[in-house]
Amino acid sequence: MNMGESFPILTVVTFLPALGIVLLLLVDKNRQLLVRNVALFTSLVTFLVSLFLYFKFDPGTGDMQFVELYSWIPSLGMGYHMGIDGISLFLVLLTTFLTPIAIWSSYNAVTEKVKGFMISILALETGMIGVFVSLDLFLFYVFWEAMLIPMYFIIGVWGGPRRIYAAVKFILFTMTGSLLMLVAILALYFVNQSYTGVATFNLLDYQGIQIPFNYQIWMFLAFALAFAIKVPMWPLHTWLPDAHVEAPTAGSVLLAAVLLKMGAYGFLRFCFPLFPEATIHFIPLFSILAIIGIIYGAFVALVQKDVKSLVAYSSVSHLGFVMLGLFALNMQSLEGSILQMLSHGISTGALFLLVGMLYERRHTRLISDFGGISKVMPVFAAFFMIVTLSSIGLPGTNGFVGEFLILLGTFRENWLYAAFGATGIILAAVYMLWMYQRVMFGKVDKPENQKLKDLSLREKLILVPIVIVIFLIGIYPSAFTSRMEASVAKLMETVNEKYRVEEVMPQVQPRRDFQIDESQLEVSTHSFGGGEIHRGQ
Amino acid sequence: MNLTLIIPEIFLFLWALLILFVDFFTAEEKKHRLGPLSLVGIVITVVLVVFSGQGQAFGEMFSADYYSLSFAIIFLGSAFLAICTSIDFARERIKHQGEYYALILLSTVGMMFLAASRELLSMYVSLELTTISLFVLSAYLKTDLKSSEAGLKYMILGAASSAILLYGISLLYGITGTTVLKGIQAELVGSAFPGPLLVISLVFIIAGFSFKLAAVPFHMWAPDVYEGAPTPITAYLSVASKGAGLAAMVRVFFGSLLPVTSEWIPLFMALATMTMVLGNIVAIRQSNIKRMLAYSSIAQVGYILVALSAASELATTSMILYLLVYMFANIGAFAVVIAFYNHSGTDEICEYAGLSRRSPFLAISLVIFFLSLVGIPPLAGFVGKYLLFLAAIQKGYYWLVGVAVLTSVISLFYYMNVVRQMYFRKPTKNDPVKVSWSLRLALVLSLIGVIAVGVYPDPFVSLISKAASVFVY
Amino acid sequence: MTLYHYLILSAILFVIGMYGLLTRRNAVGVLMSIELMFNAANINFVAFSKFITPNEFIGQIFSIFVITIAAAEAAVGLAIVLLIYRNYKGIEVDNINFMKW
Repeated sequence: MNMGESFPILTVVTFLPALGIVLLLLVDKNRQLLVRNVALFTSLVTFLVSLFLYFKFDPGTGDMQFVELYSWIPSLGMGYHMGIDGISLFLVLLTTFLTPIAIWSSYNAVTEKVKGFMISILALETGMIGVFVSLDLFLFYVFWEAMLIPMYFIIGVWGGPRRIYAAVKFILFTMTGSLLMLVAILALYFVNQSYTGVATFNLLDYQGIQIPFNYQIWMFLAFALAFAIKVPMWPLHTWLPDAHVEAPTAGSVLLAAVLLKMGAYGFLRFCFPLFPEATIHFIPLFSILAIIGIIYGAFVALVQKDVKSLVAYSSVSHLGFVMLGLFALNMQSLEGSILQMLSHGISTGALFLLVGMLYERRHTRLISDFGGISKVMPVFAAFFMIVTLSSIGLPGTNGFVGEFLILLGTFRENWLYAAFGATGIILAAVYMLWMYQRVMFGKVDKPENQKLKDLSLREKLILVPIVIVIFLIGIYPSAFTSRMEASVAKLMETVNEKYRVEEVMPQVQPRRDFQIDESQLEVSTHSFGGGEIHRGQ
Repeated sequence: MNLTLIIPEIFLFLWALLILFVDFFTAEEKKHRLGPLSLVGIVITVVLVVFSGQGQAFGEMFSADYYSLSFAIIFLGSAFLAICTSIDFARERIKHQGEYYALILLSTVGMMFLAASRELLSMYVSLELTTISLFVLSAYLKTDLKSSEAGLKYMILGAASSAILLYGISLLYGITGTTVLKGIQAELVGSAFPGPLLVISLVFIIAGFSFKLAAVPFHMWAPDVYEGAPTPITAYLSVASKGAGLAAMVRVFFGSLLPVTSEWIPLFMALATMTMVLGNIVAIRQSNIKRMLAYSSIAQVGYILVALSAASELATTSMILYLLVYMFANIGAFAVVIAFYNHSGTDEICEYAGLSRRSPFLAISLVIFFLSLVGIPPLAGFVGKYLLFLAAIQKGYYWLVGVAVLTSVISLFYYMNVVRQMYFRKPTKNDPVKVSWSLRLALVLSLIGVIAVGVYPDPFVSLISKAASVFVY
Repeated sequence: MTLYHYLILSAILFVIGMYGLLTRRNAVGVLMSIELMFNAANINFVAFSKFITPNEFIGQIFSIFVITIAAAEAAVGLAIVLLIYRNYKGIEVDNINFMKW
C-alpha cells in the first residue's frame, strides 16, 4: 500500500476537470466553440490519464492501489485518503469514458449559457470521480454532496419544460438521504473512537472494528437509505423518471450511467464491509425490494408513451438486477453486479444519447410521433438496434454477461429470487423491442419524419466507441472480471469473516481504557433509536 | 492591574470618538469617506487584538484569552464587512453618517468587552453598550416607517429581555453570593441539591439570552427588526449581535453553570428543536428576502443551540467555528441583497428573476453563500455543521441531530427558491447591476472566507479549539 | 423583615411590570413597565447584598449600574418613541404594525 512517493495519479484524475473549469473561466463566454472544445479537450485528457489506472492496476491483490494519504484536518481525524481497487477502478473509467461523450453530444443540443453548462459538467465529473476514489468518509461525503449542485443546475437550467420541479425533487430526495448518512458517519466516528481510541474518518480503519449489532442495524439503515435513493430502489425511485425526462441529454447520460452507480457502489464499499451482520440481516428485505423494482420498472416501462421515460423506467428495472446481485452476496453475483453496473452505464447512456439525437431532429420524444424511422435513418437504426439488444442482454453484448452472472449467483442462494428476477429479462425484451418496432418499422406516415437527416460524422464518432465497448464486454469479459476478482474476493472474505466472528462471540467489549469520554458509550447505547433492538446484552 | 490588555478596546473606543470629531469638520458631500476611515480603525484594532498579550485585568472581571480573541476577531470581522456594505447605502440614504459609523464601532467595543468579561456585572454593562447602540442604528432611517417601527420593537423587546436577564442574574447572585463566574461555579459544585430558586433563575437567564439570540419562542422581534432596519445593520445584527449573545451565554453556562447541566440542557434541547423547526418552516413562505434571511438566521441559531446543549469542548469549538463561518456566508448574502437593493430599490425575491444574466457575479456569489448556509461541501458551512453535529452525536443526541438534518433539507428548499429565481427564470429587466468597490470588497472577502474555511479548516479549528479549552468541562 | 419579604416584593413588582409590558398599548406605558422590571431586579440586588453578602457591596454596586443603564435605555427609548410619534402621528403600539408583528 505504500505508494505515497509515486505520482499522485488519482488526485490528478479527480482534479483535472476542475482545472478545466479554471481554464474555462478564462475563456470569453461568447466564443462558444472554444468553450466547448476546451471542455472536451479537458475531459479527453482526463480519460487518457485515467487509462493508466487500468494498465498499471495490479489484478493480483484485493488491496487498495494508488493510495494517497495526507492529513487534512488532523485535529479531528479527517484525512485526504484516496485509492482504488477492482471495484472502483471500472467506475472511475466509466466516468472518464462517458464524460467526453456527454460533452461532445451536447455540441448542438446546448446553445444557451454554454460556458455554465460545461463548467457544471466538469464539476460533476470531479465530484463523481472523487466519490469513487475517496477512502476517507469525510472526503467521500464532501464529494458525494458537492456533486449534487452541478447536477441540480444541469437539470434546472438546461432541462425540459418541467425542469424546476424535477430539479427540486432531485435535490430534496438525495439530500434527505445523504444527510441521514452523515449522521451515521458521525456516529461511526465515535463508535470507532470508543473501540480504538483513534479519532479518524479513515474507511480502512473502520473495517477492523466489530460494531455491535444494534448499532449496525441503524447505521446500515441510514447508509442504505442514502444509497437506495441514489440507486434508486423501489419505492424511492420517483425522482428518477422526472429527473431523467427533464434533464438535457448529457445530464441524462451521466445521471443514468454514473450517478445511479454511486448508490450500488456505496453498498459495496460501505454497507457490506462495515455492517456485515446487518447486511445479512436485511438480505430478504432488500432482495424483495430489488425484485419489486425489476418487475415494477419493467411493467411501467411497457406503458410509457415517451421514449425517454421508457428508458428511465428501464433503468429502475436494470438497477433492480444490480441490487439483487449485490444482496445475493457471492462471488458470481457480486462480479455480475459490478459488470452490470458498467453495462447499464454504457447501454443506457447510449440509449439516452440516441433518444437525444432523435429529439434534436424532431423535438418530440413520443413513440407515437415516430414510425418507419429505419427507412429514413438507416445508420441510426443500426446503432439503435445494437444498443437495444445490449440493453436486453443478448449474448455477445455487454448486457448478457452481467445479468447471467447475477442470475447464476442468485440462483445459488435462493432459486425463487432468481426466478422472479428472470422475468425481468423477458419483460425487458418485450418493452425494448416493442418500442423499437414502433419507432423504427412500419410506414413513414408522418410527413415530418420523411426528411430527417441521418447521423452526422460527429454523432457516429460519439457512438462508435460505445459500440466497441459493448462488444468488448460481451465477447471478452475477462478483461474486466480479472481485475475485479481479487477485490471482490477480499470483500467477501471481510463480510464472511466478520460475520463468523460475530456469530461466535457476539459480545465483544469495547476497550474502555482508550475511551475518551467515559459516559459516551452509555449515553449512546440508550439513545440510539430508543434502544429497542438490544441483542442479548 | 494590567491596562495593556484592554488597549484594543480603548483604541477602538477612541477611534469611534475620532470619527465623531472628524465628522464635525467634514463637509456633507465628503462624509462617505468616514466609512473607509472606520475600516482603517478596525484593521488596526485587529492587529492590536492579535498582538496584545493574554491575561486578566480588573480582578476577575476581564480576561483576555483565546476565547475572547476568537470572538473579538469575529466581531471585528463582521463590523468590517458591515461597514463595507454600508458605504454606498449610507451615502445614498442616511443622514448623520459620522454617528452611524461611530455607533457601529461602539457596539463592537461592547461586544469585545462582553466576550472578555468573566463577571456578571461587566458582562451586563457591555451587553447594554452593545444593544443600546444597535437600538439607535436599527431606527436610523428617520423618515422610513419600517425603520422606526423596527427601532421601537427592537428597543422594547431588547430592554424587556435585559430586564428579564437581569432578574435572573440577581437571583443567581442571591443563590451564590457572588457575581464572578468562577465563584459561582465553585458555589454550585458545593451545593448538594439545586433549589427551585436556581431553576427559576436559569429559566430567566436562558429567556433573556434567547431574546438576544432570537431563539424560538423569543424570536418574534427578529423578522420585523431585520426587515425594517437599514440592511447593512440587519447584516450586522444577524451576525454580531447574535455572536455577542452567544459569547456571553457560553461564558455563563460553560464557565459557571456546568455543575448543574441537568437543569438546563433539556431546556436548550427544547429551544434548539423549536428554533430549527419553526425558523426553517416559516422561512419557506417569505417573499421578502430580508425577512427570509431573518428566519434563516433564526434557524441557524437553532443549529448552534444543538451544540450548546452538548456542553463539551468539541461543542464550544463547533459553535465558535460555526459563528465564523456563518458570519462570512450571512454577511456575504446580505452584501448581495444590499447591492441589489442599491440598484433596484426592492427586496422582493421575485425581483431576483434572471439575476444570473444581469449580474453573474452577484448571482453566483449568492448561490455560494446560500449553499454554505445549507451546509454543502466543500464550503465552510459544511465544516461548521459537521462539527456541530459531531458534538451532539458525541453525547448521543441522535434525535436532535436527526431534526437538525431534516430541517436542513427544508432550508435547502427556500434557499433554492432564490437560486431558482436567479437561474431558471428569465429576467424582467436587462440592465446589469452595478457593484461598487466597497461592496465588491465585502463580497470577495466573504467568498474567500467561505471557501478557505471550507477547503482548509485546520488552522481555524486548531485556533478555536484553544479558545474552547478555557473552560473545564 | 426577612429576605423573603424583599424577594416577594420584587417578584410582585416584576410581575406587574411584565403584565404592563404585555397589555399596555401606549409606548410610554410600555417603557414604564420595563422600568418596573428593572427596579424589581434592583430590589433583589440590594436585598441579597444586605442579607447574603453583608460585608461586600457587589449587589449595591450592581444596582447603581443598573439604574444608570436603565436611564440610558429610557433616553434612547423615548427618542425612538418621539421618532415614532413624528412618523405615525401617535404612539399607540397597536397602530404601529406596518410589518406583520
